[in-house]
Amino acid sequence: MTNTKKYWKGLAELNNDPIIEKLAQNEFVDELPVDEFLSDPDINKSSTSRRDFLKFLGFSTAAATLAACETPVNKVIPYVVKPEETVPGIANYYASTIYDGHDFASVLVKTREGRPIKLEPNKTSTNARVQASVLSLYDSSRLKNPMKSGEESDWDTVDSEILEKLNVISSKGGKIALLSSTIISPSTESVIADFSNKFRNVTHIQMDALSSNGMLEANLENFGVRALPTYHFDKAEVIVSFGADFMGNWGDPDNEKKYSKRRNPKHGNMSKHYQIESTLTLTGSNADERIQIRPSEQAGLLSNLYNALNGSNPDKRIAKIVNSLKNAKSSIIVCDSNDKDVQLLVNAINNKLGNYNYTVDMSNPSYLRKGNDESVAQLIADMNAGTIDAIITYNTNPSYTLVNADEFNKGLSKVGLKVSTSLFMDETSSKMDYICPDNHNLESWGDANPSNGEYTLMQPTINPLFNGRQFQDSILTWIGSSETYYDVLKNLYSSWEEKLHDGYFTMNKIEYSLKSKFSVPSFSIPSSKGIEFEVSEKISMGDGTQSNNPWLQELPDPLSRASWDNYLTMSASTARDLGVKNWNVSNGALNGSLVNITVGDKTLENVPVMIQPGQAIGTVALSVGYGRTHAGKCGDGVGHNAYPLLNGGIAEITLVEGIHEFAAVQLHHTMMGREIVKETTLADFINDPSSGNHREKYYTHDGPKTSDQVTLWDDHDHKTGHFWNMSIDLSLCSGCAACVVSCHAENNVPVVGKEEVRKSRDMHWLRIDRYFSSEMTKERSAEEKISAIDMYSEMEDPSENPEVVFQPVMCQHCNHAPCETVCPVAATTHSAEGLNHMTYNRCVGTRYCANNCPYKVRRFNWFKYSDNEKFDYNLNDDYGKMVLNPDVVVRSRGVIEKCSMCIQKIQEVKLNAKKSGSKVNDNDAQTACSSVCSTNAIIFGDSNDSSHEIYNLKNDPRKYDLLDHLNVAPSVFYQTKVRNKS
Amino acid sequence: MTLYKRFFLSQFVFVILFFLNINLAAQSEGEQIFKSNCAACHTIGGGKLIGPDAKEWLSSDRFVSTDDPLGTLVKYVQNPADFGVLEMPAQALTAGEIKQVLDYVDGYVPEVKEVVTSIEVAEEESTNPVIILLIVTLILFLLILVLVSVKNNLKESLSLPTETVFESFKNYVTINRNKIIIGFVLFISLMYLLYNLMMGVGVVEKYQPDQPIAFSHELHAGLNGVDCNYCHSSAKNSAHSGVPSANVCMNCHAVVKGGDDKAKNEIGKIWKSFGLDIETDDFDWNKLDTYQQTPIEWIRVHNLPDHAYFNHAQHVTVGGLECQQCHGNMQEKTVGQVATAEELNKIDYNIKDGIEFDHPTLTMGWCIDCHRQKEVDMEGNDYYTEMHKNIKEKHEGVENFTVDMIGGLECGKCHY
Repeated sequence: MTNTKKYWKGLAELNNDPIIEKLAQNEFVDELPVDEFLSDPDINKSSTSRRDFLKFLGFSTAAATLAACETPVNKVIPYVVKPEETVPGIANYYASTIYDGHDFASVLVKTREGRPIKLEPNKTSTNARVQASVLSLYDSSRLKNPMKSGEESDWDTVDSEILEKLNVISSKGGKIALLSSTIISPSTESVIADFSNKFRNVTHIQMDALSSNGMLEANLENFGVRALPTYHFDKAEVIVSFGADFMGNWGDPDNEKKYSKRRNPKHGNMSKHYQIESTLTLTGSNADERIQIRPSEQAGLLSNLYNALNGSNPDKRIAKIVNSLKNAKSSIIVCDSNDKDVQLLVNAINNKLGNYNYTVDMSNPSYLRKGNDESVAQLIADMNAGTIDAIITYNTNPSYTLVNADEFNKGLSKVGLKVSTSLFMDETSSKMDYICPDNHNLESWGDANPSNGEYTLMQPTINPLFNGRQFQDSILTWIGSSETYYDVLKNLYSSWEEKLHDGYFTMNKIEYSLKSKFSVPSFSIPSSKGIEFEVSEKISMGDGTQSNNPWLQELPDPLSRASWDNYLTMSASTARDLGVKNWNVSNGALNGSLVNITVGDKTLENVPVMIQPGQAIGTVALSVGYGRTHAGKCGDGVGHNAYPLLNGGIAEITLVEGIHEFAAVQLHHTMMGREIVKETTLADFINDPSSGNHREKYYTHDGPKTSDQVTLWDDHDHKTGHFWNMSIDLSLCSGCAACVVSCHAENNVPVVGKEEVRKSRDMHWLRIDRYFSSEMTKERSAEEKISAIDMYSEMEDPSENPEVVFQPVMCQHCNHAPCETVCPVAATTHSAEGLNHMTYNRCVGTRYCANNCPYKVRRFNWFKYSDNEKFDYNLNDDYGKMVLNPDVVVRSRGVIEKCSMCIQKIQEVKLNAKKSGSKVNDNDAQTACSSVCSTNAIIFGDSNDSSHEIYNLKNDPRKYDLLDHLNVAPSVFYQTKVRNKS
Repeated sequence: MTLYKRFFLSQFVFVILFFLNINLAAQSEGEQIFKSNCAACHTIGGGKLIGPDAKEWLSSDRFVSTDDPLGTLVKYVQNPADFGVLEMPAQALTAGEIKQVLDYVDGYVPEVKEVVTSIEVAEEESTNPVIILLIVTLILFLLILVLVSVKNNLKESLSLPTETVFESFKNYVTINRNKIIIGFVLFISLMYLLYNLMMGVGVVEKYQPDQPIAFSHELHAGLNGVDCNYCHSSAKNSAHSGVPSANVCMNCHAVVKGGDDKAKNEIGKIWKSFGLDIETDDFDWNKLDTYQQTPIEWIRVHNLPDHAYFNHAQHVTVGGLECQQCHGNMQEKTVGQVATAEELNKIDYNIKDGIEFDHPTLTMGWCIDCHRQKEVDMEGNDYYTEMHKNIKEKHEGVENFTVDMIGGLECGKCHY
């Protein structure tokens, strides 16, 4: 059989780059000149025989080995004047804020010897991107100096030239546009106001990469306030979300935390969550019931829902929801649409259900999105008309994120003075005359007012790494202010030190006098044909601001489990219709077909397709945040830019030749009838709290027995001191992956890159397994008399609309550890505190332990990932290495590594207790994953302490050990997943 | 002397040592403050050092002449500049703390170093290696017998003359005598050299690199009696003992500029790190920010490899070890040096704790030596109360608990 398919490895090859062709023809570029030197007539005169050569080789190897034994000379350089609060070896924590225009979080910054190395949640929870932002601080592709027409310059030159031009423009009455992200900082607003006063004709336009304009306008019309409501998911009995990914990327960072308060079945008031969407989102995968629709049907279904609540007949897909809503005391309806009329309808439904002032709070609105699509459109029109004389951009990258970036770029070329304040030479700033690089959040002063009356402060935790200057200070310089931004900020708040210490406070609550005038636009459900396209947003990449962050690039998507990519997600049946395939190659890695996709007049070529269970039939989606061209060495050229297709619509998809190689970390998507994740329904749980949690039994001559009753193992003594245990509640885990990035940061986990991830050599100590349900179950096969072979082969296929479960798996710290017994050099051993220790310097790399580990959590260092130019990520970069945690060793090549249960943190907490002569406080001991878990799914503690929550969780009827039948007695255990369905 | 009397005496010495031990452990707060804040410049009853003898503090004219000598002294200590004294840096101490120091000075009796006469050494329970050697020899001998009998059987079948074990041995030796002797000597000496070479890899005993400043521990810690923790202040709280920052040196050396040219030259290097010239410039604490600061680059003496985690606070604050137990008598040396195990074995504190090192300093065996021998104080820290109670119950009848019995040999305590 001949294979006529053309395989190509990159765009360069597809485009027939001459170099690639030359390389393909001549793999070894310069042939070794063997003939030449063998034909040398003098060769036989040489007295060096082959044996001599080997002797020399042996001698030099031995000499080099012995020379390497010499102890290196290290220097120790103390401060000249040591800051009083700094003690070498002890971490300091500062309260601060992260806000990059897309994500907001109030954080505690952990610094060691003056370097920020880790972020912990303070007032709000932190998502994966916020966790990773500490690495973006050390991004060496940040601009190191102010730039003038693409060349490095200095502040004096840049300032004087900009000021001169601004003065000329201002005196002529010219128009100056300031284009920024949503500004939530009151002090920045006041600085911008001063700028407007000084140069008069200034328009400040705010834009969001993923706009909430429709919702803001609808609220303006209904309530007179252009803001987003605060949602109280903890008060809602029924939650209905039309496409809004409120646990992942949509709205307030604390939505997930509030939602989880009512998702613990033990508390008895579990909320019921319906998700109606076309692309599987993190929120949708956590829903009790998920209904698949086409994007165009959303408005019509909302209309139908409104009418049904007024008594008419509902669409059969949402009949159940209407019933639930009618019977519920409280509810929330949310919708991700950016259409004002649709949002007016959503408001009307929420009003109809009496949700305002209870679950949907408009008197305490959130200010996290203020972007105005009309003003942005007007700006682009003005720029193209040539009426804008100067533009200053701040915290935004319109040349990348705008749907009509081409028009923006065209207009930009007509603007007289173009100034960017970006930290990077990004898509927009590369087109600017001047770049006045801003400082990173962790180097900056600032404040934030994320919602009514709530304030947070931002303080620098490190001196600026480069010759940048805060945007606000740039503005103050240009208006000739004698004050620095720090002065402006400090004058704004009383009892400054106290507020700075806490990082957040409440003040100046505005009493809104809300009007409530609702209107009910009406929509019908269209009967559209063809494949519909919409954009999605990945939990790792967000809007793409941090796409040069290797931690985020390597973070597997919770749903597709692929890293370093974006791809068109498509349901299996749509793929079949189009002839699109996904398949595994011999080493297990995933390959996929390529397609060209055209939406409206925009076409993306050679987009890989990932068959994603849960994607509604006849729809496809592509996530934004990829396809950057000016992000840096790590983010450039990864994936395709979906922003030009932001408006969605009917897509034309054609299969093209070629194969895409994915880097997916999970290649099997169903549990194949095994009870890896145990689950039950709320109704069953109420009857029997241990429902769904049945232990497997062995048949012995004494009758059936559980594995721990037939054990051959001697138990370790865990009663004398601590016994560190971890409980993971699968009902609460949303799969948000903040813990994975947190673990990366805390434990110096290396980034290995796409090729290695594809070979299943990813180094994540903590992975979040995701399983889809299948149509085929053991019960069904028994009923329908399906043979075992057919049953198992069908079990491999996930449903088209599957139920999803997430299961974080790290080293389970088995107390009967299979790895410990097989290590030939005793490099992995057990502690009295229930931990499985890993001694890297003792490991000789047989990988026997990894083979014998039933959970597959041990990672092998196939290469030295630090100071290795083949792995050109943060560990091969002097700046990037500054993020390393000095308490954790950087592993070398050839050793196994794995989750240590953050032993460095445990030891620190213990030492602090010893120093103060007191017991360890209940919640002091935390691991990197448990401390950032916003839903409290991961609880860590000493189970010998009966007052600790972990003690009760260990004795909970929902508690189970993963692969319990193996009787490995793990220190990590899980709680059964409970779904709120009958 | 009868055996009985001897026993009694040794018990007596033990009891005395026991009480001395308690006194050592329970330093009064006044003593601690004196050692870390005052001892750099003042002695107690030892005459004038940089400042006056502490015993003479209150009798100074400056205070006696006032209505409230004590109150004036307190004010003086808190800000000497108010009294026109610039040599002494202001001390951030409360009136109560200063009074504790005075009480300590008042009650101070010079320490008499006792010589420890008897040490109890625990008997080794492991099998004697000589016995193992004998067994191996016996087995080898049996093997020879078997082989010789096989050889004889074969010879017999060929009807050749047979020989006994001793005859074969004698024949072999007479033929190969020189070869055997030379070979044996060579083999043993090669193995010995190789063993020593390999065991010396990574051993850094006596490492004492030249430092940018010829700092003398002998002068500071020995002669002037400055507490180790005054300069290495983070040893009590942190993983690192810390090299003092230059501003700590300047607490004294802003005033103490050295007696001779050599000393002045060395002290001048500290001034230089502030961008100042010791001869011509003045040092002003209020102008620190304006100075051109260049840090002093010391050579690190105690280098643990990256994969070993060591925490000073755990040993100094929690374990109650003295600095000398691992670092030797630094107060008798100049610049920092890695002490040898033999040297450490002669330290009084180690003799008293019954610690004898068999392995070179800073190797893992050396750490383990101590963890196997050092007894743990089972009382007095609430963190340990319950754990120690449980451990005592577990090991009923055992009286002395060493570090290894409470988890001190677990890999994860040092390697992560």
